[in-house]
Amino acid sequence: MEGLIPMIRSVIKRDGRRVLYDQTKIASAILRAMEAVREGNAEDAARVADSVEAKLEAIFPAKSPDIETIQDTVEHQLMQYGFNDTAKAYILYRANRTTTRDANTALMKTINEITQEDAIDSDLKRDNANIDGNTAMGSMLQIGSAGAKAYNEMYLLRPEHAKAFREGDIYIHDFDFYHMTTTCTQIDILTLFHNGFSTGHGYLREPQSIASYAALAAIAIQSNQNDQHGGQSIPNFDYAMAEGVGKSYHKNFLRILTEVIEDEKDEDDLQDAVEKILTDVERTQGELAKLENRPDFDSRLAAALSEGMGVPTDVMAHLMQRVRSRALKRTDKDTYQAMEGFVHNLNTMHSRAGAQTPFSSINYGTDTTPEGRMAMRNVLLALDAGLGHGETCIFPIHIFKVKEGVNYNPGDPNYDLFRLSCKVSAKRLFPNFVFLDSPYNLQYYVPGRPETEVATMGCRTRVMGNVYDPTRQIAYSRGNLSFTSINLPRIALESQHDEAAFYKRLDELLELVAQQLLDRFEIQAQKHVYNFPFLMGQGVWLDSDKLHITDTVREVLKHGTLSIGFIGLAETLTALYGHHHGEMPEMEEKGLEIIRHMRAFCDKKSQEMKMNFTLLATPAEGLSGKFIVQDQKRFGKIPGITDREYYTNSFHIPVWYPISAYDKIRLEAPYHALCNAGHISYVELDGDTARNVEAFEQVVRWMHDCEIGYGSINHPVDRDPVCGYVGVIGDVCPRCGRREGHRVPPSRIEELKKLYPDIVAFRGIE
Amino acid sequence: MDNQTVHNDNEVILDNRDEKLGEGVGFERIRRITGYLVGTMDKWNDAKRAEERDRVKHSLAENE
Repeated sequence: MEGLIPMIRSVIKRDGRRVLYDQTKIASAILRAMEAVREGNAEDAARVADSVEAKLEAIFPAKSPDIETIQDTVEHQLMQYGFNDTAKAYILYRANRTTTRDANTALMKTINEITQEDAIDSDLKRDNANIDGNTAMGSMLQIGSAGAKAYNEMYLLRPEHAKAFREGDIYIHDFDFYHMTTTCTQIDILTLFHNGFSTGHGYLREPQSIASYAALAAIAIQSNQNDQHGGQSIPNFDYAMAEGVGKSYHKNFLRILTEVIEDEKDEDDLQDAVEKILTDVERTQGELAKLENRPDFDSRLAAALSEGMGVPTDVMAHLMQRVRSRALKRTDKDTYQAMEGFVHNLNTMHSRAGAQTPFSSINYGTDTTPEGRMAMRNVLLALDAGLGHGETCIFPIHIFKVKEGVNYNPGDPNYDLFRLSCKVSAKRLFPNFVFLDSPYNLQYYVPGRPETEVATMGCRTRVMGNVYDPTRQIAYSRGNLSFTSINLPRIALESQHDEAAFYKRLDELLELVAQQLLDRFEIQAQKHVYNFPFLMGQGVWLDSDKLHITDTVREVLKHGTLSIGFIGLAETLTALYGHHHGEMPEMEEKGLEIIRHMRAFCDKKSQEMKMNFTLLATPAEGLSGKFIVQDQKRFGKIPGITDREYYTNSFHIPVWYPISAYDKIRLEAPYHALCNAGHISYVELDGDTARNVEAFEQVVRWMHDCEIGYGSINHPVDRDPVCGYVGVIGDVCPRCGRREGHRVPPSRIEELKKLYPDIVAFRGIE
Repeated sequence: MDNQTVHNDNEVILDNRDEKLGEGVGFERIRRITGYLVGTMDKWNDAKRAEERDRVKHSLAENE
């Protein structure tokens, strides 16, 4: 029959498949849209569908139409017929479906990269160096992370936040955990231990020996890590371990005292008798037997024992000295072993689905009791010794709290420990140093109240001020809730040397980020105590012990910080003014202006919301390369700004810029005061300098004098796994003489085995 | 050097494994990246690796 237009028989789906044409599908979709906006009815839907078909037959007389064309035609026909609201609804629905499909495709691609590629080839898989993306658990974690990010972007972000994130104006950190938890906590283990705690299976009573204190400290870190996505730190490590040292000393003292008396009298089972006498004396004296007692304690005790146990007084006095000496040595050894175990534990334990070692930090330096000092000395010695084969410990981060009058100057009670810290750090890269005398830290400090000593998460996070509750401006039991960073160089590039434009855009983004942080807080605030079984359930977080398990956590979470971060001040200054703050003195003031401006915003927001908005010098592990890639696409490779693979961290002088250690410290220090959410300055020394402890200490003193808040000294630490040598290794190992990748010269093996009989490697085991 | 196993109080024991002792074994070079200590740059993302490569040392002269 000539003249008849063939009917449409099939359509082509998006994936290329050809399927049967079914007009009812078109009509149903139209009807759904109509019902959604209450415009039209089934008859109308059918009529429009018919017209769509007619149109398609006219366009595609002999071919099959594709889905996009069909949908275009539906929209067109709806509007033709005057169903404008329906057309709108249909268009929006179609756009949403496209976004979802794209996201699914992107997600699938990401998962594909995670599962198929080796980490060495995939930058994505190396996003977090602490997770081995080549293992099953590591991969699963990364897939979960990718899925969560896709979901969160689709459903949990406001469109303007998602856009800013996607386009690289801002970066929402730990986005995969967006609807799950908060970042980190400074764990007060002393209170935790006093109250006893549970990790889910069974209750752990207050520990009774230094070994238990150390073991439980590791468990506390690991348990809390399972409830949060960030690191964990202990702000009062020395104070807590001091208690353990004291308890171990007492046990040792009593046991050794008993033993010497038993030996003296040639009798057995005198423990109870001796203990009773000891307890009586302790009660009378008002103190327990401990590392250093008041002068008359020992003579009282000797006299009481002499009488009670029938030992001549002069003999007893002599024995007492022996007991003191041995108890001290024994306790010191116990403490060393406990600290060694602690450090080994934190380097090897895995939590977070078995894929990652917790990012742990310990702060110490200010406890001047003999017990605290013993703990600190031994943790430093354990750090110095390293792991089983002498490897440098990666965790925990050690932070030594420098304080005038306590440990900084000759004559201060812990000065020896400050010196030891420098010596150990010159070899092992830890401790880092926090400076309590810097004015912005000193303002909180109250002697005798360690919770007022600024501590830090090893990564640099600092939580101290408290606008929400100014009576609780303490380091203990608080942490960061979330943080989002701003791409400062991008703003500078967009502003094209116009300062006013720069600040205008900066203000827009500051507001946007503040809003996004509050959105995320909303989600976090509605969680319940049972969502944080350890962090809240065991009362680790401030005031969570006052909550019932089904309570929401909004009010107590407000003790935490919401932080606005930034990256690339150096590149920003170069973009705006042509130079960074290392190159030109005037730029320092320009840089400070920008950061002051951001800090002022945070302070204002804090007052407005009665919450803790703080400014962060973002650590930027994954972020370091992300913004710049996007900016390179947009602006090209601009020398000094976008011509590298990374933006300079926070307010740092660029790593590649030649500058003296002193000048770097001097120029960066003022930013520490402004970045109240966390800051750090690094100095790079060569190995030879680092072995010179005097030089090392000089750098620390410069940091102190310039009012640095948190400082760290980098230097090369090399190790030969074969002979165990730790130090600076150039091409040849100074100990065994081998070259990298080569065997130990055979002529040397015999000699080395004799010189270093303890080194396992010379038995050929490696 | 002969590969003999000699049991003698005055001599150390050498064996086959000594021939290859150290072969293929690199030196461990610890670096600090974003606060972590790492023995190898293999696990790090490209940006941090590039930054680490670029790092210069800071001299200890007080006035420069």
